[in-house]
Amino acid sequence: MTRKRWALLLMLVLGLFVAACGEDEEEPAGGGESTPAAEEAEQFPEDTTMGRIQAAGEIKIGVKYDVPPFGFKNPQTDEIEGFDVDFGKFIAEKLGVEPNFIEAISDNRIPFLQDGTVDLVLSTMTINAERDQEIDFSEPYYIARGRILVPQDSDITGVDSLAGKRVCTALGSTYEETLKEQAPDADLRLVDSYSECLELVQNGAVDAVSTDDVILTGMIIQDDSLKLTEGEPLTTEPYGAGIKDGDTEFKEFVDGALEEYKTGGGWAEAYEKWVGQYTGEEQEPPTMTLEEAIEATS
Amino acid sequence: MGDLISVLTDNLDEFLTGFWVTFRLVAFSFVIAMVVGTLVAALRIAPSAWLQRLGGVYVETFRNIPLLVLLFISFAGLRRAGVAIGPWEAGIASLGLYTAAYVAEALRSGIFSVSKGQIEAALSLGYTYRQTLRRVVFPQAFRTVISPLGSLIIAMIKNSAIIGVSLLALGDLLKTARVIGSRGFQNDEAFFWAALGYLLLTGAATVTVRALENRYAIRR
Amino acid sequence: MNYLFNPDNWEWLITGNNLRFILEGLAVNLEIAIIAMVLSLLVGLALALLRLVRLTPVSVVAGVWVDVWRNLPLIFIILYLALSMPGSWRNAYEDAIPGWFPEGLQSGRVLAAILGLVLYNSAVLAEIMRAGILSLDRGQSEAARALGMSYRQSMRLVVLPQGLRRMVPATVSQLITLNKDTTLVSIVAIQEVMRHGRIVTGFNFFGGVTAPVLQVFVFIGLLFIAINLTLSRLSRRLEVRERRRTAGVKPVREVAEQAA
Repeated sequence: MTRKRWALLLMLVLGLFVAACGEDEEEPAGGGESTPAAEEAEQFPEDTTMGRIQAAGEIKIGVKYDVPPFGFKNPQTDEIEGFDVDFGKFIAEKLGVEPNFIEAISDNRIPFLQDGTVDLVLSTMTINAERDQEIDFSEPYYIARGRILVPQDSDITGVDSLAGKRVCTALGSTYEETLKEQAPDADLRLVDSYSECLELVQNGAVDAVSTDDVILTGMIIQDDSLKLTEGEPLTTEPYGAGIKDGDTEFKEFVDGALEEYKTGGGWAEAYEKWVGQYTGEEQEPPTMTLEEAIEATS
Repeated sequence: MGDLISVLTDNLDEFLTGFWVTFRLVAFSFVIAMVVGTLVAALRIAPSAWLQRLGGVYVETFRNIPLLVLLFISFAGLRRAGVAIGPWEAGIASLGLYTAAYVAEALRSGIFSVSKGQIEAALSLGYTYRQTLRRVVFPQAFRTVISPLGSLIIAMIKNSAIIGVSLLALGDLLKTARVIGSRGFQNDEAFFWAALGYLLLTGAATVTVRALENRYAIRR
Repeated sequence: MNYLFNPDNWEWLITGNNLRFILEGLAVNLEIAIIAMVLSLLVGLALALLRLVRLTPVSVVAGVWVDVWRNLPLIFIILYLALSMPGSWRNAYEDAIPGWFPEGLQSGRVLAAILGLVLYNSAVLAEIMRAGILSLDRGQSEAARALGMSYRQSMRLVVLPQGLRRMVPATVSQLITLNKDTTLVSIVAIQEVMRHGRIVTGFNFFGGVTAPVLQVFVFIGLLFIAINLTLSRLSRRLEVRERRRTAGVKPVREVAEQAA
């Protein structure tokens, strides 16, 4: 009888192991179809970051896995999708390599960049002076604004009415400081990721969530019993691609790619696909420069 | 070295608050664990097979389920189902009910270690089953299990950190260390002090349990 | 109560990719558990032997090491390692990992998780093993020495095999705990069952069927209960076999040490 049990347990374990192993035969998440632009990609010298990436055949990009519509994993297809992801794919195309999307949560995205776990960070990261000391940023590729999300029937109207309310935001994000400044009497609840914030506001454990309006829009897409408060945005949040500190060549490359993305219509297409169709708002590609962005956020 | 000390002194308030939160989580959970654990142990030795099985189901369920899953169910899950439970209640209930399963098992061993002769003698003297339990069996059982309970308390101190990282968003010692650490990249220092905090708690628990053991424990 | 058992709320189990997605996550947990267990057993044995060594400084250092790791929360250790692990280590791991390994284990963060699990569990197992070895009747080792065996031989041939066999129930119990502890690696963004469960509950604008949080995590809980229950039944079988062999009585202390 014991042997039978052992065999069953062993089969169960092996079965699960094999089920997971089977993944390797499919394409890696975020790989997508091979891009025809590979032949057109400019080849870079080997001692540059671009050259190194081309030699490796893939660019490792840190993105969010749980923040629609910018970076998220589709459970039905196992693909990583979103606005950040599409921009990442564009950059990969320019290099003629495959993009490899890795999850980067707010807490670890800068360490990942510093130690080489990723080559580039595209994870709804706001440009600010403090971060600029640890890493380099590309020119802003999107301007988000800090807003507040509440249930439809909430009596919170803006940042002034947050006193004593439970407000959720992510550990290690810029909003921790912002909320402490602008709403010092709010009861801050810090969690690991915004999907937890969404869960908390949906089940009533917090009264509001505050972060970039695009992340909040992603929440509204999933649950239309939530809304954004009117009133002045808390902050202006220019998003920049994270680049390893001091890598000016790579920054130049990424900035060039961004220009092309904006002028060539790729930006507008991605915006409409991921944001515009849900918010019903229009937006032009950002014209803010990096210096202006750092000014604005200090 | 200077950095290390200044991280502590600059943030002493927060560290102490976090420490206190952890302490309270453990203390309240311990109370629940003891109460529920005793009840379940009583179920497990009840004369009715049905009650025994009920106790058994409780123990098997709460011993084999991860605490993090339990936290999700008790907080997010219940709230979605309409129950207005707060993070403190969910945290304490989860940790308490989880540990109760282990308390029940330890008590059960303790109870079995009380010789049958004593139970029979008590019953023949006219004690009811309940009285026998209350006056003869349990007092001795409790004294036998002081030491195992000590390890359970230490386990609770460690498990309380799980509550802090879950979506319950309570500001316990580990959470405090992460918040302080993420300001200006001082993770090493913040975690060092939090580690000391935890070792202080587990050390104090060990010392207290050993003192109680020396006074009260029956070793078999 | 109705909410819990309402079949509408369980529909997500049979729709789309949800069930497979969750099981894939669970596979990652089990894989990590097995790898961590094997490594922890090896390191734990080494630590236990170090503690039993006659040389006092060595045994004291090993003792302090074990006591420190044993008394820190596991999630604390894992988080700290994940935050402060140098990228070079992570890259080395990712290069060394063979391609046929499951996708969930390819990320460098898994190294931090496994390292944390091993540091903690090896210390716990070291204590269990040491207790097992010490619990062996002294007569055994004395008899072995009397027969002319060296210290090493008596350890290898007499003490360790018997002592370690006694620790099987406690060790399996620790394996069950380790299984449960693998859910903690979700905190460092490893794609395992908790993360997958959360994704399934959040993204209903893809699959069309709402996966309520309560049901998803009750289901995940049931999965764990099933696996761990099987393990503990197995362990009980082994224990019964062992007891028939040695006819000893289990003290209360051992029961509780298996716990938590």
